[in-house]
Amino acid sequence: MRFALTSFKKDLARWRQDFMSTLIWISIPLMIGGLITAMMGSNIAPHGVLLMVDEDESFLSELVAGAYSVGNLGELISVEKTTLEEGVERVNDGEASGLLVIPEGFGEAFLESEPVTLTLKTNPSQTILPGIITDVTEILLDAGFYAHQLFGDEIDAIQDMEDDPADALVAAMAVTIQNKVESVAPHLFPPILEVEIVEPPPAEPTPPLALLFLPGIILMAVMFSSNGVASDWWRERELGTLRRLVYAPGQLGGFIAGKALAAAVVIGLVGGITLVIGFLYHGISWAKLPSSLLWIAISGVALFSWFAALQMLFSNQKTASVISSVLLFPLLMAGGSFFPLAVLPGWIAAIGRASPNGFVADRLTSEIIAPGAWSIDLSSWLIVIAGAAIGLSVCAWRLRSGFARA
Amino acid sequence: MLKVEELSKNYGDFVAVDKISFRAEKGTVFGLLGPNGAGKSTTINCISGLLQPTSGHASVAGHDVVADGKAARGNLGVVPQELALYEDLPAVENLRYWGKAYGLRGADLEDRVNVVLETIGLGDRAKDLPKEFSGGMKRRLNFGCGIVHRPPVILLDEPSVGVDPQSRARLFDMVEAERDAGACILYTTHYMEEAERLCDSLAIIDHGKLIAQGTVDELRSKLGARDVLQLSGHFPIEATKQAIDALVQRGNEDLEFIAQEEDSITLTLSQASQHLPAIFDAVAGTGGRVTETSLRSPNLETLFLLLTGKELRE
Repeated sequence: MRFALTSFKKDLARWRQDFMSTLIWISIPLMIGGLITAMMGSNIAPHGVLLMVDEDESFLSELVAGAYSVGNLGELISVEKTTLEEGVERVNDGEASGLLVIPEGFGEAFLESEPVTLTLKTNPSQTILPGIITDVTEILLDAGFYAHQLFGDEIDAIQDMEDDPADALVAAMAVTIQNKVESVAPHLFPPILEVEIVEPPPAEPTPPLALLFLPGIILMAVMFSSNGVASDWWRERELGTLRRLVYAPGQLGGFIAGKALAAAVVIGLVGGITLVIGFLYHGISWAKLPSSLLWIAISGVALFSWFAALQMLFSNQKTASVISSVLLFPLLMAGGSFFPLAVLPGWIAAIGRASPNGFVADRLTSEIIAPGAWSIDLSSWLIVIAGAAIGLSVCAWRLRSGFARA
Repeated sequence: MLKVEELSKNYGDFVAVDKISFRAEKGTVFGLLGPNGAGKSTTINCISGLLQPTSGHASVAGHDVVADGKAARGNLGVVPQELALYEDLPAVENLRYWGKAYGLRGADLEDRVNVVLETIGLGDRAKDLPKEFSGGMKRRLNFGCGIVHRPPVILLDEPSVGVDPQSRARLFDMVEAERDAGACILYTTHYMEEAERLCDSLAIIDHGKLIAQGTVDELRSKLGARDVLQLSGHFPIEATKQAIDALVQRGNEDLEFIAQEEDSITLTLSQASQHLPAIFDAVAGTGGRVTETSLRSPNLETLFLLLTGKELRE
């Protein structure tokens, strides 16, 4: 195994000359990860502005304005009063999600049950918030209709009241309203349907979406680097050094072992840097770093060996490089580097987990979100070690069966 | 030291090497001379373990290259035709790496690396990367990597291809130095002058077959003192042949017809310059026309021409 160490040092020295590749393997996933995190990881809920032109300025028009910011709705929508011209201009400029115009006489018309038109102009460049505003407006109109059905007489009485009604009249009306509510209450409370409320089992805390992206991003760096390091077999073949290696007695095993060790270091370095940045950003426990790093280094050697075996099956470097690259991106896609497996539909996620990088990313996700370190099961470790052994054996077979000769 | 017996290598129906046999001894340079595609590199690849022979045997320092391949390769140093260097590792690291590949370690390795660096004339460029070297310097380093482990048998596969005259002279010096140090060297080339200068004995190979073998002097003697005369122009084939036969019958007994095509004929005879007028008359009598005449003294190249009817560098 002394020659394995010699070959390992040789390959590391050569990779030091090619620092730019390493930089690219790290920077592309980090750039993509940064963009995804910026889009998904900020946890800022969408918020829209509803502009309101209140030409009526009545008690009822105030009620309508207030209805848009009641409870949770208030976290999504802010109501701003404005003039018609300014409101139209701001909606057209995309500054607001919608513009509601309450015409003069709205309150009177409602009380007298006369037709009235509310105008709602929504922002066509948005979809969700204008939809919510439209739905709330329709609910308000329905509520007004049912209020008329239930309390039509009382509304008429209120309309006929003088500006300063007698206390007795107000009290009588309150009693009437109370009676109507009580008469309806048995139909509403409790509901006629018996509803059994089943408490769902306490849900496990869901990790933030941005955190679920991290393993895929790390695997992207690992895939780039393992594919890149694997291309060194072809580079050595072009240099003629593989041919010279075959002349040397019994050094093939040491040479392959040295290459695998160097691949582990290069891939571990690339994956490790992305891992550390991810740990820092998400505040993941450093206790999980050694296990995560070891996992990606060993998995990286397995991926490297498979990429190498694949590339060595082809008759020229160009074909090998094209096929390898063509395969790389669908694997990244399937393996959760662009969409976390946890948020994909079940059957797609199952395919993703069966892909080599998806398998590795899935276990890395478990390791990162598990309460403690070293949560990856033994069988998974054995699978990646066996995968590496198989891939390297194919490389050795190709070296012996003519790959080194050309 | 190096023994090849009835060695053959086939690729399907194509016979690249056809039952060739030769042996090379310690402290000698054995040349394998032949045109491109003759089977020289295939022979070297079979000896070095890069190819499995189809039949026959080869042994290096008494070890069969197939049955005892590891031991055989341990005694071999190979300088391949194409460069085989890590261009992104300094020259000295290339030598160290290949020295270690053959088991050299510690002070022994460092001593040997320093000696080889001086031998190949790269002592002052040891820490430079080969990608910054000239073609000749790369060739020298390529040679150095093949001999760094002091192999008793060295295979040199056309080491002078693409080398400038200065580097070629240095390469010859290095080959002679290894020979003088006791190495057995198999040197393939298609340059006759290299073979004549370096080789103690040689074999001529064409289409995978050995067509002649011996020392340079022995091979020269096959030609005798005969010159090779090549006439270019236009020649009626049958009539020309009859005219030449008539010359032989008239007393030019060592005149021999080697090859004839419509635009050239090749003859061999002693003191050819004295017989030129008679030959020109004979050709003119057949209606032939000579446009160019080439007269060459006997050497390995003319021997190859004599044996195969074609030029060595075709």
